[in-house]
Amino acid sequence: MAFREYKIGARMFGLAFGSSMFITLYMAAVDISSVSVSQIGLHRQLGFGRAGGFSYEDPFLRGWAKPTQVILAVDPKTGAAIDPVTAYVYEKDVPFPNGIRHPRILGDGPRELSEGRGRIGEADDAVGAVFLTHEVEVNGELVPYIENATATRGWIPAETLAKVPDNKRLQVGKGKIMFVREGCWWCHTLLPEQTQDWQYFGAPPMLGDFNGESPTAFGSDRKAPDLTHVGSRNSSREWMMIHFFNPRLVQPHSIMPRYDYLWGDKDASGNTIDYDGWRSAYNEYAAGKSIVPPDVPVPHKDSEARALIDFVLNLK
Amino acid sequence: MAWKFDNPLQTLTTEDQNQAARDLWEGESLGGIKEDNNRLPQPVVTLLILTIITAFMITFPLWGQRPTAAIYEEYIALMDDPNVQAMSDEKAMKYIVNTVKSQGSKWAALQERHPLEMDDLRMIKDQIIELQNQSAYMQDYTVVGDKVVIANFEGNYRADGTRERHQPYWDKGYTIDIFFIVIFCVSVIIAVKRLPNYSFKPDHSKHH
Amino acid sequence: MFKYLLAREEDIPAGSAAIFFGFSSIIWFVVGTALGSFNAAKLAFPDFVTGIEMLSFGHMRQVHVLAVILGWISMAFAMAMMYITPALGNTKLWSEKLGIWNCFIWNIGLSVGLCGLWFGITSGREYSDMPFVIDVVIIGGLLIPLCLNVIMTIKTRRTQGIYTTNWFFGAATFMVIIVFAVGNSPEFFQLTGLTEAYLTWWFAHNVLGLWITPVAAAISYYIVPKVTGNPLYSHRIGHLHFWSVVVFYSTPAAHHIMSSPLPEWLKSFASVEGVLILVPAIAFVSNLLLTMTGKWNMFIENIEIKFTITGVLLAIPLNMQGGFQQTRAINWYIHGTGWIVAHAHLALLGFSTFLEAAAVYYGLQTLLRRKLYSLALANFHFWMLLIGFATYWISMTIAGLIQGAGKIYEVPYIDVVIAEHPYMIARWVGGTMVFLGNCVWMFNMWKTIRVGTVIPDGRLPHELAYER
Repeated sequence: MAFREYKIGARMFGLAFGSSMFITLYMAAVDISSVSVSQIGLHRQLGFGRAGGFSYEDPFLRGWAKPTQVILAVDPKTGAAIDPVTAYVYEKDVPFPNGIRHPRILGDGPRELSEGRGRIGEADDAVGAVFLTHEVEVNGELVPYIENATATRGWIPAETLAKVPDNKRLQVGKGKIMFVREGCWWCHTLLPEQTQDWQYFGAPPMLGDFNGESPTAFGSDRKAPDLTHVGSRNSSREWMMIHFFNPRLVQPHSIMPRYDYLWGDKDASGNTIDYDGWRSAYNEYAAGKSIVPPDVPVPHKDSEARALIDFVLNLK
Repeated sequence: MAWKFDNPLQTLTTEDQNQAARDLWEGESLGGIKEDNNRLPQPVVTLLILTIITAFMITFPLWGQRPTAAIYEEYIALMDDPNVQAMSDEKAMKYIVNTVKSQGSKWAALQERHPLEMDDLRMIKDQIIELQNQSAYMQDYTVVGDKVVIANFEGNYRADGTRERHQPYWDKGYTIDIFFIVIFCVSVIIAVKRLPNYSFKPDHSKHH
Repeated sequence: MFKYLLAREEDIPAGSAAIFFGFSSIIWFVVGTALGSFNAAKLAFPDFVTGIEMLSFGHMRQVHVLAVILGWISMAFAMAMMYITPALGNTKLWSEKLGIWNCFIWNIGLSVGLCGLWFGITSGREYSDMPFVIDVVIIGGLLIPLCLNVIMTIKTRRTQGIYTTNWFFGAATFMVIIVFAVGNSPEFFQLTGLTEAYLTWWFAHNVLGLWITPVAAAISYYIVPKVTGNPLYSHRIGHLHFWSVVVFYSTPAAHHIMSSPLPEWLKSFASVEGVLILVPAIAFVSNLLLTMTGKWNMFIENIEIKFTITGVLLAIPLNMQGGFQQTRAINWYIHGTGWIVAHAHLALLGFSTFLEAAAVYYGLQTLLRRKLYSLALANFHFWMLLIGFATYWISMTIAGLIQGAGKIYEVPYIDVVIAEHPYMIARWVGGTMVFLGNCVWMFNMWKTIRVGTVIPDGRLPHELAYER
């Protein structure tokens, strides 16, 4: 028996599928990749590091090999006091974000400045680097760029970290990992909508606010407040701490899960946290048998809770 | 029927069988484009056309837009009127709204959708006047509470190279759509009209 | 199953791969809906199970989603392909052995991937949550062998033409490979920013549009003519359906993030194409319902037709929602609310699950040559699915409208949470009903293998009367 061949059909299929892919992938990619990064975009990618999800250097999403965001009040090289400046410290072997590895994604203006003035091409994985961000006016427009302070000012990452007290360090990169791993973004979106909720959740992002960040974790199903600008609405570290440990201590109607397990075994002063004791004390409080809820332990500086709180407070 | 590594997509059909099938296929008289040769049912075609028209009509941004600075320009111009300043806030606002309405504003619908009070107007007045002095495109600015901020849409380019910053009523996305749909309709009409009569009934009762 | 992994091709009975896929899919359905019910309970009662990282909502949610999509839906699809494609080609499956290995790797790979997600190993991208090492396994171990088997079976068919169902099977198995490869490229190549966000939703859209929707529709193109005995109403409308799926369903990916700062032209384009999803929908629904002409009594009497036609009817509200909710004029109100969650469940739990359940019911009876154990239990399963789903859908739609109102009037968010609470409980009740119904189904199928009446040669399962 002879078989009918479907040559025309197969070619038509290729044409139809191909042209829709051409429009939705090629044309879209050309347009999106022409976007120049904004100051916010630089801040985000330098703070979060290369990947916020699974990666070779952090396969179990424990927050390994992530940068630290610090507020520097002294010049780490000379020791002289300077105006406080936010610096992004990449220690040895912490992978650089994509804007450093592939400067093309910064967009033309920021790339030229970052490579020329900022000398980001000289950043070296084996040494690490300290980055700063700036914004300068070029032809009447503000153009942001990255400065590799290790090359321009001789700031060594390890020395820089040594000059910063713990309360001026934000473990934002590790915190982003916690945010993704714990699925915060299943309920809390990171995208105030273009037409709505400006007043309540703050301004929606602009086109260049995401270059170099991955994953963007916009979220699709908002069961809880948008967090894009949460650090501006509520900057209380203590409130965040209590809220993460048991949200119903500060908001009785909240349906957020408790994230007490992020505290780990020890609290800030090195004491073992007695979870069972805390829960039974809380249950008594919730049942109305006691008037005061049990105290929430302060998280240890290396705990995952600390990193997550840093991340959330840094969302401004 | 094992895997053949050197020819993974081998066919059981020989070349002369193919040729015979092709001759049969091409020799069949299926009728021309204008003939009534088993066309799609009329209701389906009607629904198709209706869907395409609906698709364009409903995708324009009709609701959900924030007020732009442009719609309050006329209000703000009236604020300095000595008449208005003599009145109480409530009366003044009513007067302003009625005056603008009677003059026939370009933004009448949006003004009605985004009413505000005299206090709101006072908070945005200076910001709007400053933008007017810079001769900025007022539609590019959104009024959010007490602030007038640049809108975050990045739409069509204007002749002077700046970008429109409001939701587009027409842009190149719609133009691509028109080409795409026209090509689809032409291809499908040709393909469907050229099809041979088809009566295939699956029957696998003898197998398995 | 294991004894066939290393057996010679000739020694493997025809239909083995389909049977294994069928039972795997039922088990994954039970697992997936159990997870769904558990998650819903946590949303309704936040202190339900607490303090254990593995059992927190953020770790469980994506496991539910992917267990249902890749376990239940996709494995039921593979099952359907492995018996429908050869049946329509009047031939055998190209390689049973490849099919069995495919099923084996599918179960192993999915279990490993889901355990990883459960443990927190995720790429942080919705629907493409699996880390890229698992994505490689999905593409290379799951999808390419399936595509190869289906396309080679079509190629070695012993019929003149290719029936509508097989166009869809062949095209969809091919397209889903492209969709997985391109959709996960941000992970393979470290693409970032809006490109990453857009490709995430490009994937999420196309895995539904080019895999789940067309394959589910293709199944009903087989089941309805087969069981009712009516020929398909119109081959030409089938063409319209197929080509409009390829053209209109593959383009509107951007409509999932209408509220993000993507280029406006892309959103305008996607939005129009999004409404045009109604074209394949109208073609599909009208074709199937017209095929039923004269046989509507089977909608009541026959369990496979009952499932299939319910699925087809649910495609009507599904596409009406899907077409219109993504336009700028409507999306601003309902974006990111429970409305979307309800819509997603209408697509996966309503429309496609009912069609797949019919395929699995019918296929397993045909392949095992056993009449279904109990019609009463099957009917119970049907009504548990339908009522459970309806409860879920209605409650989440209402919750979504409340959230939408809360969003545009910008009320304090906690008021929205309080207002939604009764609907969260209803959602949990609905989800639990679906889960219980599936347990009954698993029992029914198990009894069918054990004690179902043997179907004599030359007869089809639906021609025999039920004994229970």
